[in-house]
Amino acid sequence: MIERTLIVGMGNPYLRDDGVGIRLATDLMARLDLPEGIRRGPAGILPGLHIEPECSLGGLTLVELIDGFDRLVVLDSIDTRDGVPGDWHHFTAASLRETLNLSSVHDANFATALELGRRMGMRLPDDAEILVYAVEVEDTLTFDTALSPSLEARYAEFAGEIFADLAAALPATLEQAAGL
Amino acid sequence: MRSIRIDPITRLEGHGKIEIFLDDDGGVSDCYFQIPELRGFERFVVGRPIEELPRIVTRICGVCPASHHMASAKAVDGCFGGELPPLARKLREMYYQAHYIHSHIAHFYALAAPDFVCGPDCDPATRNILGVVQKVGLEIGGQVIKARAMAQDIQTILGGRSTHVVWCIPGGVSKGLTKEELERIRPMADQLYDFTLFSLKLFKDVVLANPAYVDLILNGPYTLDVHNMGLVDENNAPNFYDGKVRVVDYEGNEICKYAPEEYHHHVAEHVEPWTYLKFPYLKQRGWKGFVEGIDTSLYCATPLARLNVADRMATPRAQEAFEEMFQVLGAKPCRALLAQHWARLVEMVQNAETLKGFVEDPEITGPGYRVVPQRITGEGVGIVEAMRGTLTHHYTCDEKGICTSANLIVGTTNNNAPIQMVTKKVAQALIRPGQEVTEPVLNMVEMAFRAFDPCYSCATHTLPGQMPLEAVVHQGGRVVKTLRKNLG
Repeated sequence: MIERTLIVGMGNPYLRDDGVGIRLATDLMARLDLPEGIRRGPAGILPGLHIEPECSLGGLTLVELIDGFDRLVVLDSIDTRDGVPGDWHHFTAASLRETLNLSSVHDANFATALELGRRMGMRLPDDAEILVYAVEVEDTLTFDTALSPSLEARYAEFAGEIFADLAAALPATLEQAAGL
Repeated sequence: MRSIRIDPITRLEGHGKIEIFLDDDGGVSDCYFQIPELRGFERFVVGRPIEELPRIVTRICGVCPASHHMASAKAVDGCFGGELPPLARKLREMYYQAHYIHSHIAHFYALAAPDFVCGPDCDPATRNILGVVQKVGLEIGGQVIKARAMAQDIQTILGGRSTHVVWCIPGGVSKGLTKEELERIRPMADQLYDFTLFSLKLFKDVVLANPAYVDLILNGPYTLDVHNMGLVDENNAPNFYDGKVRVVDYEGNEICKYAPEEYHHHVAEHVEPWTYLKFPYLKQRGWKGFVEGIDTSLYCATPLARLNVADRMATPRAQEAFEEMFQVLGAKPCRALLAQHWARLVEMVQNAETLKGFVEDPEITGPGYRVVPQRITGEGVGIVEAMRGTLTHHYTCDEKGICTSANLIVGTTNNNAPIQMVTKKVAQALIRPGQEVTEPVLNMVEMAFRAFDPCYSCATHTLPGQMPLEAVVHQGGRVVKTLRKNLG
């Protein structure tokens, strides 16, 4: 049985740096030469790989989206106390309790929702198979479709690093992808 | 002067901070509920084609994207002359029922239920949806997940995609409903109806059967003497998608009833220097400050307010639930803010019945779901009831259809003043001189505004879900006590 991987770009494309995850996911699709709009359902190009380039979900809604996948990759923004825009973090769901995002507090935080989904018999990836790549950002409160200049200046650098790391983490899924 | 800071607020959408100021004796002298506002939306949309706005505003809020989408689409319809075929309205309204159910389920089970099912003073580590499951049984969790998924599926079938809906376009919707799609929706609509009745019964079994909770709802500090706002149809029954805005005072007298395009004669917004968020009030009464009482110009726009302004519900089973609710509460309008959670469940019954009605409508799979607008009139106002309050979008555009202005009054914003007031009221009632401020006490302060299901978010993941809640007690310029709770 083929392993199914879902990659999502999290964030808001209209709130300046909050769109960085969406930009990364869209960019990844371009690099993988995937046609526009590959979503759930048979991907066809890379078996078992599904990309949701724009996802503004959290909590229960996000868990509902990943039901049935073996692995989840989240590309997202993060704003930590002394973070430098353009630096990035990589962690798995095992450390989600200490992170500052992936939760829509309107319903339940992601760790709670994951636990709930598992108890309810959903087929969800293990914590170790939920990979989060989070880029430090500067401004997520201003309506704008462009990144902050400080983040834009480092985009090529962190995107390259993240994609290389991702390719190493998911060799079976991405080995056929040129240019990663 | 000591102050207690609760930051961040848990189980609430968006950044928030409560500052509680204590006098020298340890009683509450003042309380501010502050949130950083997002900047520049009006400037961001000016200069864009007006028909793009419904697609942009779904990103204003990840919690109620469809509410913004619908209000925006209606405002855009107005800019193009306002013609809309009857089927388009039906389809939009059908979609909106599923959206309501989807949101209300989450609020009740994940936000409200922990306080009631687990108890407002239980261990914060278990005071969440998992604690609810623990207490009520695994079966319930499965049903919640399943019902949420069905409500989501119905939206996906109708709107064509699961997130960031782009379905409403000027003069209608971009796709209709096929007979095959309708048959997929039919059993889900039936099951959602059953689930809404089940939820109502659960509320009765768990909450109403517990005298302490009923006492807390009816006799706790969670009441406010302000007025009520909500959309109603021609029979003064709640309609979430369309109608007139009715304002009724807390003694039951109608203050005004207006069509969406008249909103600016009735609602104005007051600005305070300590927050970016405005305070809407009834314009014809003038701003009178944060005061309760029959002459106040403040109002709530919430599920309870919507039922308070209604003479009846639009569907039979919801009508029964409505009558029973006000009978138990002992008054209509009801001022007990914690009854919001019950009102939400009554609304959900109407949502499900209305949804079933559309499934049975022989015209629902018809072809006439859009007319192409032929003129540009340049101005439109769209009002819907977002789950958390009356939502107004007001746009103008030039003769080429380019946006020249946008004004939004968001659901939660209506309740900004009442939330401030009730938070202070509850803090004053619970934080007494000489008494230690404990986590359960702070949680009960939070319950005051959680009842409003407030949403201050424009990105879905701006705030950690259940981060440690920190309360810092200051005295004489230094920290004398720090309280933390980790709900993760």
